[in-house]
Amino acid sequence: MTAMDNVLSDGFVRLLREISSPAAVRRAEDDGDAADILREVEDSGFMDALVPESKQGSGLALADVVPLFLAAGDHLLPIPFAETMVARALIAGADARAPRGNTIVFWPATPSGRLRSQLNPLGAQSSLALVQRGTAFELFPIQCGDRRADSFGMASARPDLDALPLLSFELPGVDLLQWAAAITAVTMAGAMERMLGMSLTHVNGRKQFGRTLGKFQAIQQQLSIFAERVVSAQVAARIGLTGSNFILDGGRVAIAKSIANESARSCVSIAHAVHGAIGISEAHDLQLYTRRLARLQVSFGSEAYWQRFAGELRLGSRETTSVDFVRALLDHPVAYQ
Amino acid sequence: MIALTEAFAGAMIPAGAEHLRAQVKSFLETSLPDRPAHMRARTWSAYDAQFSRSLAERGWVGLTLPTRYGGAGLDAFSRFVLVEELLIAGAPVAAHWIGDRQSGPLILRYGTEAQRQFYLPRICRGEIFFCIGMSEPNAGSDLASVRTKAARTANGWLLNGSKIWTTYAHKSHYMLALVRTSGSVDDRQQGLSQFVIDLTLPGISINPIVDLCGDDHFSEVFFEDVRLDAAALVGEEGQGWTQANAELAFERSGPERIYSSLILLDLWTQRVRRDSSDSDKVRLGRLIARLAVLREMSLAITGRLARGESPLFEAALLKDLGTEFEQNIPQEIANALAADPDAESDDELLRTLAYLMQISPAFSLRGGTREILRGMIARGLGLR
Repeated sequence: MTAMDNVLSDGFVRLLREISSPAAVRRAEDDGDAADILREVEDSGFMDALVPESKQGSGLALADVVPLFLAAGDHLLPIPFAETMVARALIAGADARAPRGNTIVFWPATPSGRLRSQLNPLGAQSSLALVQRGTAFELFPIQCGDRRADSFGMASARPDLDALPLLSFELPGVDLLQWAAAITAVTMAGAMERMLGMSLTHVNGRKQFGRTLGKFQAIQQQLSIFAERVVSAQVAARIGLTGSNFILDGGRVAIAKSIANESARSCVSIAHAVHGAIGISEAHDLQLYTRRLARLQVSFGSEAYWQRFAGELRLGSRETTSVDFVRALLDHPVAYQ
Repeated sequence: MIALTEAFAGAMIPAGAEHLRAQVKSFLETSLPDRPAHMRARTWSAYDAQFSRSLAERGWVGLTLPTRYGGAGLDAFSRFVLVEELLIAGAPVAAHWIGDRQSGPLILRYGTEAQRQFYLPRICRGEIFFCIGMSEPNAGSDLASVRTKAARTANGWLLNGSKIWTTYAHKSHYMLALVRTSGSVDDRQQGLSQFVIDLTLPGISINPIVDLCGDDHFSEVFFEDVRLDAAALVGEEGQGWTQANAELAFERSGPERIYSSLILLDLWTQRVRRDSSDSDKVRLGRLIARLAVLREMSLAITGRLARGESPLFEAALLKDLGTEFEQNIPQEIANALAADPDAESDDELLRTLAYLMQISPAFSLRGGTREILRGMIARGLGLR
């Protein structure tokens, strides 16, 4: 992380602390209303960070905004922030202009328009959906009155595919499922780091058997594993978010999402274990994180889907050794844009 | 708490270091013909003095040592590339491994000019091999409970005690040992010093210990009134613990903490290429994804080592994850192979699998046990 990343993300983190508190997250999840949050984030200008300067954006590279994505995950920002940032860049890349004051969810679809995910995207305050069918990209309005809470207790969104699209364009080589999975992975990595922090605070404050929980070796060993998983997920998320001309690499995304899912399983389990019964209560904020992580594990392909993807890629490659395969995949990152 | 995001910021192998790869690959293709997989799987546990010398002839032993001491004067990334290629080819590198990775750099950092001139060029030429004397009988993971004692004499030291589980002591020329020079076991880390011990000295006896696979890579070493020169002391008297710890990040963060089962993975991949089930593909992808992340982490630490840092917390974290991965591979492949009891068996694959299924528990013992490493990580998290 460079000093510039810090300056950029520090400002964003300050904003998130103000606008994306657990109470605000609860409100947004309950009724899908995050209008205040959206206004603040839009005013901050961060959602245009990936749009080129020639098109009134900030012209940042993907690697520069990864800390912002992590921070959004860390604060459970209840609007599709990263998705909107990427969607605006994709739209700008097709020489079109995204409407302001709206967030955009991703809808990678089969030719018939069915979403390529078991769960609809999180839809608090979203009004538009970027839909990909084949190589065709279209921007659709979200179906009115469909922001109700889903089985995970969160407002989700689906586009009205019968409406007239606001925009239509082609982006050869761009795969929206890969983008959705990569963003899901980085969001999960951010949430996991916050859960680690919450767990450390909890075990340092709570006393049992005459000493703080954090002094018990069994707890220390569990939290060490937790930290290992958080680091793995973050490193994997960065691997996923690398590409050029808005084209991610399927193999890299496969690494990101499968490691995010594997890591989330351990992290959620350890976070709940060290929190005990209080962590199971609705009133405690831990459930906001574990619920979000549970939902994201099922979104845009589980580890089985992405591991199979990586396995097939490996079997189809000519590299003799697995290290040579990984090197070919990772050692030649191209600067984004 | 340590900022995890910054601790593992990505690092790229510089072009200069990458340049070495093709040379190493082509050398290994010709110098290791027809070595069966179950032998290659032994990699940095397999001893072949002649092979180590052939690497030395090419300047590939002591790669990071300065040229004035016979080294190649290259950086940590070059060593990463070299080690990576040696490991994925299953090259028998144990003979020079310890001297190259730890003893050489330690003598460079803490040794006198005379010690550097005496040992380093010979390490780089592959003439002398080192072992490290840390563990002692009945001490287990409690490395600080050192009982082996060096008492000052008129012109040097008198050494008594024993070391155990010392890798290839019976085939090494020197041991870099951590011994007590003052106080008693109760003084723990205080009063320890490091010595280079010439293993041909009178009073030293070494017995190899056969492992559960029939290999004899470690041994037990006894010191009975061994007379050491004053010049055997490395660094400062009483600073042994600090000195020994300073090199641990090197020992724990390299590809050898990730790659110990890759010969098996690559052999199994060949089989899966011919005929694969869906679950094989998932399994293979799972292992590839973990490998990719671990390698990125190892590279990130290499970048920090190259900048002169000593990221001990990060190295402990990587080693714990890396050895878990090395242990996963034989488990996953055992499960995959026997998923179809009617499938045709492959002797060489089974030999390699049998070796790794039996030896892999050692991966999270050698170089710091899993429990000790997790204790270090917990300290980094502010819990201890």
